[in-house]
Amino acid sequence: MNRRLAIKQVLIFAGGMALLPSCLREEGKVSIQLQHLDISATQEKLLAEIAELIIPKTDTSGAKDLNLHLFVLKMLDDCYDTKDQEQFMKGLKSFEGLEGNALKEQVMAANNEKPGLSKEIGDFYSIMKSRTIGGYLNSKYVMSKLLIWELVPGRYNGYFPVKTT
Amino acid sequence: MSNKQHTYDAIVIGSGISGGWAAKEFTEKGLKTLVLERGRDVKHLIDYPTTNKYPYEFEHRGELTLAIRKENPVVSKCYAFREDAMHFFVKDKEHPYVQEKPFDWIRGYQVGGKSLLWARQTQRWSDLDFEGPLRDDFAVDWPIRHKDLDSWYSYVEKFAGISGNKDGLAQLPDGDFLPAFPLNAVEDYFKKTLNEKYSGRHVISSRCAHLSQPRQIHFDQGRGKCQNRNLCQRGCPFGGYFSSNASTLPWAAKTGNLTLKPFSVVESVIYDEKLGRASGVRVVDTNTKEVTEYFARVIFVNAAAINTNLILLNSTSSRFPNGLGNDSGVLGKYVAFHNYSARISAEYDGLKEFTTDGRNPSDGGYIPRFRNLLKQETNFKRGYAAGFSAYRSPEKDTSGMGADLKAQLLNKNLGPWQVGSHMMGETIPKASNYVKLDKHKKDEWGIPQLRISVDYDDNDAKMKKDYLEQMTEMFTAAGFKNIKPNDGSQAPGLDIHEMGGARMGHDPKTSVLNKWNQMHDCKNVFVTDGACMTSTSTQNPSLTYMALTARAVDYAVQSMKKGEL
Repeated sequence: MNRRLAIKQVLIFAGGMALLPSCLREEGKVSIQLQHLDISATQEKLLAEIAELIIPKTDTSGAKDLNLHLFVLKMLDDCYDTKDQEQFMKGLKSFEGLEGNALKEQVMAANNEKPGLSKEIGDFYSIMKSRTIGGYLNSKYVMSKLLIWELVPGRYNGYFPVKTT
Repeated sequence: MSNKQHTYDAIVIGSGISGGWAAKEFTEKGLKTLVLERGRDVKHLIDYPTTNKYPYEFEHRGELTLAIRKENPVVSKCYAFREDAMHFFVKDKEHPYVQEKPFDWIRGYQVGGKSLLWARQTQRWSDLDFEGPLRDDFAVDWPIRHKDLDSWYSYVEKFAGISGNKDGLAQLPDGDFLPAFPLNAVEDYFKKTLNEKYSGRHVISSRCAHLSQPRQIHFDQGRGKCQNRNLCQRGCPFGGYFSSNASTLPWAAKTGNLTLKPFSVVESVIYDEKLGRASGVRVVDTNTKEVTEYFARVIFVNAAAINTNLILLNSTSSRFPNGLGNDSGVLGKYVAFHNYSARISAEYDGLKEFTTDGRNPSDGGYIPRFRNLLKQETNFKRGYAAGFSAYRSPEKDTSGMGADLKAQLLNKNLGPWQVGSHMMGETIPKASNYVKLDKHKKDEWGIPQLRISVDYDDNDAKMKKDYLEQMTEMFTAAGFKNIKPNDGSQAPGLDIHEMGGARMGHDPKTSVLNKWNQMHDCKNVFVTDGACMTSTSTQNPSLTYMALTARAVDYAVQSMKKGEL
C-alpha cells in the first residue's frame, strides 16, 4: 500500500498519470486483477504467445492485439472451480520455458491431441483454446468489423437468398 | 397515520401481467387503486440498465460466474438468467422455500414482475381445453367456456398487441391480431409436409405479444414497433413487447387513480369477522420490516400463482382457520404446470438457397395440440403443443489452429438448416401436488416459508414418450437427418407455468373461486393470476390471465355499483 502510494505520488509529480496502470502493479505479477489465480508476468506473456499461436495476427488483428489471453484469465478466474484452475496451472507448466518453434510445436501437439501428452496439458489447452475463440468471436473488433452483430436489426426475412459463388 | 389515509377503493397485490391489468382496469373505471409490489420499482426505459449493451460489454460475455451459479443453484437453471438479465430474477437466498420434491421456483420480484421476462407466447384457450377436465374426468369442470372469455380475449389482445395469423383452427381460436411474424423457408416446408402427410397437424406462426405493426392504441401507450432485437429479457427500449412496465402500469398511472407501492410484501389479507368480508391487507415493508394495514372494498390477489397461494394460506382468522376462502380445503392443492422436459433436434439438407436475415421475435413456428383432441386415442390423457423453429449458421471447424482456424472462425459459409422443437405438455392437477405453509420456518419478513410438493406422474412420462416418437416420425417424414431426441429431465417449476391451488369451479365444496374468479366464501376477494387455473391445457397461460383479469374487474366494479360488494 505505502509502496504503491509512494510510486503513485512520484508519478503524479512527474506528470505520469498515463503510465499508472502498468507501473502500479507488483513487480512480476499479472497485469489484471484476479481473485483466485496466481499468475506471474512471465506466465502472462507465455499465455499471450499461446493465444497468438491459436489466433495469429494476419491481415486482421490477432489474439495479442485483442488481449485474448487476459479474457481467458478473467473467465478462468471467475467461471471455473479450483480443480479446473489447478489443472490449468499444471498444464501451463509444461509450456514454461518454451519459445519460438519449440513452443509452437508443443501447442500443436496439444491441439492435435498427440498421444502421450498428459491429461493436464489437454485440460489446460481445452480451456485455453475455447476461451480464446470465445473471446475472439465476442470481441468488439470482430463483432463490429468482421462478423457484424446488430443491436437493432429491425427486420426479419425467412427467405433470405443465399449468394452462390 | 389514520386508516382513512390507508383506504382505497381497490387493492391489487402484485404488479406482474395480471396485477398490471387489474390496475389498468380499476383505475380506468375511476377507482382509487393501490398496487402493492414486494420488489423494487422498475420504470420503463429508465431501469433497463443492460438494454443497449453489446455482447462484449458484459464482463463475462453473458456467462454466469461460478460464484453466482453456486449461490443460485435453482435460478441458474433458467435460460434467461444470464449476465444481461440476472438483476430481474430473485436470487435463491432472497426468498427460501422448502422443496419436498425438486421444484425450480423462478421468480421476478420487481414492478412488472415476470412480465419483463416472459417468453411472450400468447394463445387463446378453446373449448377443447375448457372441457378437458369434464371430458377426461380429472380436476373439476371449468365454470367458463371460450364464449365467456371471447370478447375479453379480444379486448386484451387489442391493447397488448398480439401478432398472429387467423389460422382457423378449432383448438386455437383466432383473435384480434397484428400481422404475424412469418415462418421461414424450412418452417414453411415442415408445415407443408405435415399438411400433406397428416390430418389435423399444423405448424403456424407463433402468436406473440410483439408489436409487428403498432396501432394508435400502442402509440398512445408510448410503445413502438418491435425491432427484432430478441433481447427482450433486458426490457425493451421500444416497448416492442407487452409488459406491465411498458403498457398497463403507465396507462393506469395516467388516470391519476393509481398508487404504486414497491417494497411492500403482503403478509396476509385481513378478514373482518363482523362484516363477513375481507377489509384489507397487512403489508410488511421489505426494507424497514414495518407493518402497515391498507383497506379497500375489493381485493385482487395477483402475486403470481405460488405466492398467491402463500398469501391466502397465511390469511387465517376464526372464520377461515385454514386460509382465506378455504372452506373446501382444496386451497394450495391441485397445483399443476407444463411439461417442457423433452426436446428434439435435427438437420435438413434442402432449401440451401435460403437462410434467414434479421431475427424473429416470435420464436418461429408453433404446433398446436393434435393428440386426443376430439376424443381419447392414446394411452395417456390430454396432449402437448410444441415449438418448432429452424435456422442456419456458418459452419466453423474449430479443430485447427493458427491462420486456418482464424479463417474458419471468420467464414460465412452456411451449414445445413438446424431444426428444433420442444414440448409443452398438459399436466393433470392432483391433490397430491400441493403447496403448504411450513410450521416453523419463516422468511426474513416473518412470513412462513412454503413447502412445495409437485411432481411429474406416469401420464407425463407416457406423453413425453409419445411426443418424442411423434416428432421423430414427423421429422423423418420431412426428410430431416441426424435426428436427436432429447429425453431431458427438468424439475417442475422451470417451465415457469405453475398454475392452480385456488382453482375456479362451480361448487364451493371443491373449488376456491367461482366463474368470476371471485372467492366462493369471501366475495370481495378475487384471484386472477395462475393460481385460479382449474387445469393447464397446453397454451402459454398469460393471455388467459389478462382476459380473466379484465373480465373479473368489470364484474367486480359492476357488483360494487349494485351495492353487492
